[in-house]
Amino acid sequence: MSESGTTRVLAIGAAAGLAGAAATGFVSGWDRFWANWNLWFLFLLTIGLGCLFIVALEHVVGAKWSVPLRRVPERLASLAPLMGLAALLALVSLPVLYPWTIPKNLKDPAIGDKAVWLNVPFFAIRVVACVCLWMLAYRLFVSGSIRQDDDKDPRFNVRARRFAPVFMIIFGITITVVAFDWISSLEPAWYSDVFGVYVFAGTFLAGLAATTLAVLYLKARGRLPGVEPDHLYNLGGFMFAFIVFWAYIGFAQYLLMWYANMPEEVFWYRERLQGGWGTLVLALAIFHFFVPFLVLIPRGAKSATRGLYWIATLMLLAHWIDFYWMIFPVLGKGLIFGWPELSFAAFFVSTGLLWIRRAMTRGADMPVGDPFLREGLEFRL
Amino acid sequence: MSNQIFSVLGLFDSAQQLMDAIPVVKPKVKARLDAYTPYPIHGMEEALGLRKSPVGGMVFVMGLIGAIATMAFELWTEGMDYPMVTAGKPAFSWQAFVPIMFEVTVLFACFTSGLGMLFLLNRLPFFRHPMLHSKSMPLITRDKFALAVEADGQALDVDAITALLRAAGARTIEVLEQPAPLGLISPNFLFRVVAGIAVSCFVAGYLTYWGVKLFPVAIPMVHMLDQPRLDPQREDNFFKDGFGMRMPVAGTVARGRIPFTIRKQDDASILMNPLPRTDDVLKKGRQEFTIYCSVCHGILGNGVPSLTAAYGAKPANLVSQQFRDYPDGKIYYTIVMGKNAMPSYAADLSEDERWSVVHYVRVLQRAMNAKDTDIPKETRK
Repeated sequence: MSESGTTRVLAIGAAAGLAGAAATGFVSGWDRFWANWNLWFLFLLTIGLGCLFIVALEHVVGAKWSVPLRRVPERLASLAPLMGLAALLALVSLPVLYPWTIPKNLKDPAIGDKAVWLNVPFFAIRVVACVCLWMLAYRLFVSGSIRQDDDKDPRFNVRARRFAPVFMIIFGITITVVAFDWISSLEPAWYSDVFGVYVFAGTFLAGLAATTLAVLYLKARGRLPGVEPDHLYNLGGFMFAFIVFWAYIGFAQYLLMWYANMPEEVFWYRERLQGGWGTLVLALAIFHFFVPFLVLIPRGAKSATRGLYWIATLMLLAHWIDFYWMIFPVLGKGLIFGWPELSFAAFFVSTGLLWIRRAMTRGADMPVGDPFLREGLEFRL
Repeated sequence: MSNQIFSVLGLFDSAQQLMDAIPVVKPKVKARLDAYTPYPIHGMEEALGLRKSPVGGMVFVMGLIGAIATMAFELWTEGMDYPMVTAGKPAFSWQAFVPIMFEVTVLFACFTSGLGMLFLLNRLPFFRHPMLHSKSMPLITRDKFALAVEADGQALDVDAITALLRAAGARTIEVLEQPAPLGLISPNFLFRVVAGIAVSCFVAGYLTYWGVKLFPVAIPMVHMLDQPRLDPQREDNFFKDGFGMRMPVAGTVARGRIPFTIRKQDDASILMNPLPRTDDVLKKGRQEFTIYCSVCHGILGNGVPSLTAAYGAKPANLVSQQFRDYPDGKIYYTIVMGKNAMPSYAADLSEDERWSVVHYVRVLQRAMNAKDTDIPKETRK
């Protein structure tokens, strides 16, 4: 299919998806609409933030191997500002989905005591602040990197390396805020200290999976010359490590709550372990951990194109299921999946792909102005 | 044996010369090839045709064994052999065992990779490796690259190999002899190591056990003793009446016990023995009778035991006609409620045990009143 043909298909997909999504609100209720909206914007936002984190991480540690690949997460990171805007729109969902916005719920001390944090003005301030910080980081890392393509100014690397540790702190705080505000506060009585880390693990993994997919896509089209299986091996190894990390954090959170058996903690799991949700947890355990873990164990698997392609796709799917499992039980309608979900999928996937394709046209496919590019291309295991 | 050849070394001036020499030498010798270089050279493993290290597979298998064995062991100890309720959880709570399983998996995997690599694959202990004392070693650590043709226990044609290495471009040739085995290190070194570890574990465990037992400076787990709790049969001010123990709530029925409401022995005649007269039931009855009843009623139930004479009581002769005419229920009633000087045995014997005893009393009655005609004809004298 030609470039413009693909664009047309995506545009049609986005328009049809938007129409279906809007119909959802009128037919199936606005709670389902906003649950879908929040799920999808969080899904794409975490991919974008994960990629931004990968870029920052590479600057922090001064990684050379990843320089030839860096433009890929830089471009994917453009999802973060876009989905930041979607987050601003999602403020409308507060009275629909979030029980702490209803005054009578605040009489329950388990919710009322958190009103200092969970109130609409402060929530909005946090959302705006987070979006601004991400945009700032995006400008510094990505726009600066693209400018370097032309002016070949090595001072960009110095600037990026100075800012990257600061961004690490910003990222750690904002991703926790995203996790607590958008997901955890759907059940305001619930609390889990490690929840931010859990969402971070999924975020980083989603970023890695999207990066790997995009790298494989570009490599298959010959747009990343000089990228060897050795580079892919590092991506695969990273994914392997963070698949284990996600499972570790996820299980640690569950184990502690299961052990302590405190009513204000276990009810969250109780809802999400019964009926169809329990099956979904099993699917998460298998497809978010066991299958990719076992597949990626052999050395060759971490750089095998076809295997990585499937695992990365699987990880994105599992990441979506993870969020679906956390968000959708609050609707109280059981395990629902139908045309509204498919419409939202069509809308967000098409929009995201269109946006990424637009980002793909900015700058070269590799950071050609980076003084470490050659060193990165020569990287061997 | 000291003149046996260990290996023939050829020294090359550059890594490239070494890499070029390998394909020349490799097809012409059957012996093992090895290379010694000042730094790692990419592609060396493939060129030498070294087989893939089996460490990965070994570690995987042992890790899997560790995981399965631990879970199975915990299933057996906690779920089957000695089920114990902890914190109100089911006896076999897999969640609680996952961390242990994880640790043992890592332990097995680490030991396998470490010990397997050292002892199985690197054939340690190998003191006095001939390479370490060779004249070439100082050169190799500086700027020379060595290709070694290793005898590996077989005979080497030194002259042919020397010529081959020279033809391949080696500047210097050195022939290394097999070192004489050290007297101290025998082939059963591994066995000694294992035995040594076992003996040290035994000694350490034994000393610790007796050390703690004889000199109880640090009582293990003393926090368990210090906790606030109500001890059975102890005075305690927690309740107003000053007893630590509570009376059961009125109307409480203990598990497996049916309340006995009959208050007159004659009324008990209506009770039927619910147990069949099987071997197992009679054996059970004999066991309980021997433990509880025979002390007074005698081992044969005829009221002539060794003990009662000292106390002047006159226990019933259970095999007399009076008791042979008793219905089962009246015997049962006596066990439950006691009679005359006989106390109740309700606390000592369960429902089924009492009825088994009733059966056994019937057996005794029949046996003690046997006639000659009861004996089978063929065994009569």
